[in-house]
Amino acid sequence: MFNRRLVALASAAVFAFAACTTGSGASPSRSAAPSGAATSAPSSAPSGPATAGCTVGVSWNNYQEERWAKWDEPAIKAAVEAAGGTYVPADAKSSAETQLTNIENLISQGAQVLIILVQDADAIKPAVDSAISQGIPVIAYDRLIEDERALYVTFDNVEVGRMQAREIFKLVPKGEYAIIKGNNGDANADFLRAGYEEIIGAAVASGDIVIGGRETYTDNWDPALAQTEMEQFLTASDNKIDAVLSENDGMAGGVIAALAAQGLDGKVPVSGQDGDLAALNRVALGTQSVDVWKDARELGKAAGEAALQLCGGTAVDAITGAAPFETPGGNTVSSILLKPIPITKENLQVVLDAGWITKDALCQGVTAGSVGGC
Amino acid sequence: MTEASGVRPTVAAGRPRPTVRSLLQSIEVDTRLVGMIAALAIIWIGFNVLSGGLFLTPRNLWNLSVQSATVAIMATGMMLIIVSRNIDLSVGSILGLTGYTMAMLQAIWIPTTFGLGFGQPYTWIVALIVGLVLGAAIGGFQGFIIAYGGVPSFIVTLGGLLVWRGLVFEINDGQTISPLDSTFSLLGGGPSGSIGEMASWALGILACVVIVLTLVRSRRQRRKYDFQMRPMWAEFALGLFGCLAVLAAIVVVNSYPWPEQLARQFAEAQGSPWPEGGLKIPTGIANPVLIAIGVAMLMTVLATRRRFGRSVFAIGGNPEAAELGGINTRRTIMLTFVLMGILSAVSAAVQSARLNGAVTSLGTQIELDVIAAAVIGGTSFSGGIGTIPGAVLGAVVMQSLRSGMLLLRVDSPIQDIVVGTVLVAAVGLDTIVRRRSAR
Repeated sequence: MFNRRLVALASAAVFAFAACTTGSGASPSRSAAPSGAATSAPSSAPSGPATAGCTVGVSWNNYQEERWAKWDEPAIKAAVEAAGGTYVPADAKSSAETQLTNIENLISQGAQVLIILVQDADAIKPAVDSAISQGIPVIAYDRLIEDERALYVTFDNVEVGRMQAREIFKLVPKGEYAIIKGNNGDANADFLRAGYEEIIGAAVASGDIVIGGRETYTDNWDPALAQTEMEQFLTASDNKIDAVLSENDGMAGGVIAALAAQGLDGKVPVSGQDGDLAALNRVALGTQSVDVWKDARELGKAAGEAALQLCGGTAVDAITGAAPFETPGGNTVSSILLKPIPITKENLQVVLDAGWITKDALCQGVTAGSVGGC
Repeated sequence: MTEASGVRPTVAAGRPRPTVRSLLQSIEVDTRLVGMIAALAIIWIGFNVLSGGLFLTPRNLWNLSVQSATVAIMATGMMLIIVSRNIDLSVGSILGLTGYTMAMLQAIWIPTTFGLGFGQPYTWIVALIVGLVLGAAIGGFQGFIIAYGGVPSFIVTLGGLLVWRGLVFEINDGQTISPLDSTFSLLGGGPSGSIGEMASWALGILACVVIVLTLVRSRRQRRKYDFQMRPMWAEFALGLFGCLAVLAAIVVVNSYPWPEQLARQFAEAQGSPWPEGGLKIPTGIANPVLIAIGVAMLMTVLATRRRFGRSVFAIGGNPEAAELGGINTRRTIMLTFVLMGILSAVSAAVQSARLNGAVTSLGTQIELDVIAAAVIGGTSFSGGIGTIPGAVLGAVVMQSLRSGMLLLRVDSPIQDIVVGTVLVAAVGLDTIVRRRSAR
């Protein structure tokens, strides 16, 4: 009985270990096998003073999302290693509790500065507090931490909203709008909506733009759900919708599928953000009007460089490019806000030049020469 | 529907008393099914009143039928799994993985990796077959561990939920794959993905004939074996009701015309001028609905007319007795999971074709809707009880609530609250009624 259990346990362990090794072999960018390294690896990193290169601990909230692994991590890693520093990652797998443990682990592995992509902005506070009081500076990466001593590095999300609304408003200054928002309770969904309000608020008030209740949150930013929402909006208003503000590219895909079923794709302007390859292709095809592109590599680089400066003893408000930022919680944090770029069919060349997308992917199904870049 | 009542334990019937219930029992109609249809009617009429007549329009009902298809297809399989006292939590992730694989095949692997180019006539069928085989393999793998390894299905499929979703991210760093092959997209419905007016009528009439023939055959069989027969008027009423329901549905889908923009494009492509009063092309039954109906019919036969289905119900009723009675319980359980995997892949094809793309979140949390549909449809967690029409109706009830609330512009958190409440209330009510009738 005991033996059998032992065998089962051992084989499970072997299996888990094998999974880790193949995982890191397959994709070199993930060689550190985040969670494993954070929880079980002995602390090999030097824990001495900052003179011998800086150890930067990075706590990811969920490494499974395409973006972090593909764009953000390599950029942070490159920036840190270029200056002779060491990059130590940990993955919280969407668990606020795991993230707390990860941060303790990163500190015990000798991290001299922490970059944190938070899972839960409130739950993380005690860990951030304890790190900072131990003299370890903290960078809130992409998502806000309400702590005046932390540096906030992000894209300007309200500006993303403004850019989307600006493009759509330019195309449809008067008419019936629908607004497809992201996850209820994700602060970014409301930042974006606030950006919309700044651009179209006056026109809504004067009656030029009518929303009339065609505005909804979408659980988990789910594209299939966005498609159903759009179908119901079209049914309820007998197809009389002139423009759609969709907060990201995934949901824009669902919206455009619903429009296509009514033969309205390409006739009703739709917005999006993230620079999804499929969405950029839609911009080239003309079915999506604007895709606000946030070059995650810039964000990673900015965070990596800021981390090195913090390591060298620079104060949070003296970091290059940092400015005070009023948070929704009423705090003033020092922050680096990067500007996103709205991609329309006028400037598709930008994403090509940046190597973000290949010409084949961008121009699939597009008549050659019909838009710049294809 | 009559077949369905045959699988319910007759013990619960009790002594007939002169009530509506006993009347329904004497004509052997599943009372629970009648109750569900009544509940659905109340929901539909309620939404129609609240939305100012928008809900019961051909267009909305057509949309509703397409939106319900994905969950309905999977609910038929989930019914069998729950009946056998198991559960499958991994169906959403299987849907995600098979959908993503099919999308990769047609958007990247076939055209680019193998260099065969886009728009090949065989692309869609190759993608579909690979998806179905993958679904069967995943289901079989999980089923094997459950049936032969003796690991509880809750645990195995909970693991599957994580593993298969994780694999989706590993395949292509979680990028959105779009657009799909144009033939494959037809599986997702839309006006061009529907069968049109004539074919819809033909199918409707065929269904009518089948209903009548089934009634006649069943009566003949009963006479032959000296079983109790329904009164003649009841046979007529059932036949008439069934036929009318089918034909009414056909009238509804045929009175939803192609959207004007698409009709114009169609006229242009035909080179014919745009007529004065507009061009009305009836849409007909959408492909996803056709697939769902086909699946439901096959599953009904499998569940009630085949040895496999009867074994599943026997195992659910009493696993030890089934085993002693010579049923290969392990093989049967494993097969239910293979079936579930295949159905998940079918839904994946429909869902991704409808979205004209695959995203990593494809099918996230759909397992909850599928389980809820099966349970609202009268499937019992204590095993042995459940019907295919019930599960399909359960899916329609769920989707009616969701689309109705969207039509009324109710925001998503409130929708979740309503759906959750309805789920518990429906099962609670059902349990009370069942307990009372068992006394």
